[in-house]
Formats: sequence, structure tokens, C-alpha cells
Amino acid sequence: MALPLPSGLTHAEVAFVAEMELVTVVPRQRLESIDLLGGKTPSLRPPHRTDLPLWLALLLKKQRRANILPPAWLHPSSLAEIIRRETRDDPDAFSPPPPIPSRADPSRPGFAARQQGLDSTQDGEDGIRISAPFRGSACTADAPAGYLPYHWLEVAEALLTHAGDDIAGATAGGTTTGGGGTGSSAGEVRGLLRDLVEVRAAKMRSSTARLEGFGGGLMSLRGVGAIELAESRGFVLGVVDGVRKVGASAEAARREDEEEEGGGVGGGRGDGFGEEESDEDMGI
Amino acid sequence: MSYYDIDSILTDAEKIPCTFQVDIPDLGYLDNTPTQPLKAGTKVSLPLWLAEMLAIANTGDIEGKSFVTFDLPAALGNDVVQALKADPRAVPLRDQSAHFYGLATHMMELSEEQELAAVLRKTFVARAAEVALHARKVGGVGHKGKGEEGSNLGIGGAGEEFLRGLDEWERKLFRKAHDGAKAGKEWMEGVKKH
Repeated sequence: MALPLPSGLTHAEVAFVAEMELVTVVPRQRLESIDLLGGKTPSLRPPHRTDLPLWLALLLKKQRRANILPPAWLHPSSLAEIIRRETRDDPDAFSPPPPIPSRADPSRPGFAARQQGLDSTQDGEDGIRISAPFRGSACTADAPAGYLPYHWLEVAEALLTHAGDDIAGATAGGTTTGGGGTGSSAGEVRGLLRDLVEVRAAKMRSSTARLEGFGGGLMSLRGVGAIELAESRGFVLGVVDGVRKVGASAEAARREDEEEEGGGVGGGRGDGFGEEESDEDMGI
Repeated sequence: MSYYDIDSILTDAEKIPCTFQVDIPDLGYLDNTPTQPLKAGTKVSLPLWLAEMLAIANTGDIEGKSFVTFDLPAALGNDVVQALKADPRAVPLRDQSAHFYGLATHMMELSEEQELAAVLRKTFVARAAEVALHARKVGGVGHKGKGEEGSNLGIGGAGEEFLRGLDEWERKLFRKAHDGAKAGKEWMEGVKKH
């Protein structure tokens, strides 16, 4: 507690990190490949879709050099489906993160190495499960609908703010019956996002209630987005830490008993409990 | 629990009821009888740090008895525990002690109270969810300074009474949850500007 800075990333930092997510753009002008520190960007040729990092896509969008294709999960029907799942089907859990892609993306100069490096471990046969932040981009146009990627709120906010017309255009094109015009469609997405944020924030609060019982207290934060983590980090860590402190003496007594009973089994179980809690801390 | 932790120091100053087991000369003033020795069996409220020292100082035992035995303070008494079992949210913990959880954990270190630990855990978790709810509701962005928790609590309306009953741990939790929610709102508004 020596530093006044809170632990973890702040909202601005998370949003900055999220700008490296790839999004799909449809360029309107030719642009040669740019040699950047992180690798070369693909060269843009007008009718062809290309995946660019969010920051570059937004820059080109502001200069009217490209249109952004919103990811499939940002479509109103996808969002409504997620909300329905979160509220009715499974009111306790967060909706799961996107499934791991079954094959590597087509090679992309500049990002190919990073993608392939991850994909070789991603093909789940070897039992390694890559979780959200270390996974390849899930915000491009071919990302699956109905699953929220790790940086969902940041990307969605950025796209809504700077490329609202593209989102409206995509949704109007997708649903021919969407009659409200372009303005209302972006508004619809915005409203659905607000609902989703509220639902998940309430879930985050009530998820701490699972820490009530002794021993079995474990919170699952699977599928929670980066911004949501940044927002709730202080609170969740505070609750977990408080529960730990309240249970510390009972836990110490229990461990002593087990050690007195002898055998590595008791000690092993005690250690297992400790690891559980430290895992929780790390996950946040 | 660092050495300079002010909450830890204040927790140590909480009084707990103690019973002296031996006659002690020249300590009569603790019981308002300065001229006589302190009799065995006298009940005196001692601060936690002193009671702890006397209670665990086994080296100086006389006939196998320790100097002092102590009971749970009123804040952790049966009444409070029963009320907490009934509804954790309805009990203003701050009225019992401003450092309720600190006191409770300290007491549990001194004497094993399995039931108390379970009740406290339930209480803390149930109230934490409530704290988070209020922290999100209370106040808009930019209306209040960071440090003025008092003014924050005032806006709460229905939850005002609950928030006034928070002990120090819960206040810290409230501050954290509120800071998080506030940062979230600020970021959300900031996105639109650039």
C-alpha cells in the first residue's frame, strides 16, 4: 500500500490496450503497407476487406479513408441473444468467451507470427486452454456472433463513437426489416450495450455471495471483460481479502488439526485451499 | 496489518471485559478503590492490547492460573450474533464498534469461536453485495470531492441508514467499489470526447 496507485490497469490503460485488437475494414483508398515496430500492416486495396488494429482503423475512418465492418457479436440480434442468455438461461454465470478457432487465420503480414504462435497451442488437443487476453483477435468481422470477446466493451464503445454510421449501415443491411433508419439502429446497439453492462455489473456484485460457505468459496470470473475487471477489481479483491481475514484464524486452527492428525494428506489439502485463494487473486 | 496501520492501532484500543484471577496489590485504582489491592474476581474493562498481553503471559502463572481471563466484548455478544444471523443487513455494525471486523478477527485469534467465524463470514459477504450496490448508485460523477465520504453518504436516500452503519472495513470496500464505478463512468464519458 505504499503507492497510492490502485493495483491493476486503469480504464484508460485497458482501453489503450484494446486498441491493438484487430478489426475488419473496407478501405476506400489505396494504402501501401506501413512498416511499424509491431510489424508491417497489410497493404490496402479498395474493394478487399483487411484486418487492421483498432487504432489504425479508427484513424482511417476519421479521415474517411475506410469503413469499419463491425464484428458479428455487435449486431443487435447477437447482443439480444447474449442478454437473453445472461438473464434467463443462465442467470448466475457470465456468458462464455468466444470458442477457440479451429484453424489458424490466413496469414497476415505483420500479425502472422503472433497469430500462428498462439494458434499452435490453441488447437485444444494438447489440453492447454488459452483464456481471453492471450487469444487472437475476436473483434474482426468473422468473429463468431453471440460471444463477447475480452475487450468487448472498449471496442464497442470506440466503434459506436467513431464509426456509428458503419454499425448502423451494417445492421440495416443485415436485417432488411429494421425499419427505424440508420440513426435508431446505432441507438439500438447502444441501448442493448447499456442493458448488458447493467446485467453483468449486477452479476458481478452478486457473484461475491458465493464466498459465503467455508472451504468452497470460489468465484468464477470466466467470460468477464477487461473493463469490467478494471471496474470491479478493487471491490472483488477487497471482499476476497476480507473473507480471508475473517477466516484466517479458523483456517489456521483447521490446518493445525490436520497436521496433528498427521499424514501428508491433511497438509496437502490445506495447501490446496491456499492455492485456490491465490489463484483467485491472480485471475483478477 | 502493518506497524503503522492506524486502524490496527485503534482496534487494539477497543475495551474488552476482563476478570482478574489473582489479587494484585496497588492496582486497586483500576476498580475505583485506590487504597485496596485489586481483588481476584474483579471485572475490569481493559484495552485489547493489554488484555492480550496479560491473558497470554503464561510464564508468570501462579498456581497454574493466568492473571486474567477475558470474555467476548458486547459488540460480539450473543445479541449481536443472533441479530446478524437473522439479517446481516439490518444491523448497524458501526454502533457496536467502528472496527467491528478487526476486533472480531483479533478476538477469534485469541479464542476459537467456530460459530462466530461462520456468522461473520456470512455477514461480511452479504453486506459486501449491499455495499457494492450502494456504491454504484450513490452520487453522480464530479459532484463530490474524493475524500468527503460524509457527503457521499448523505445522497444515498434510502440506503443512508445502512451506509451509516458500515464499519471501517466496509467503508474501505465502499470506497473501492465507488472509485471503480466512478472511474468507469468517467471513462465512458471520456470516450466520446476524442
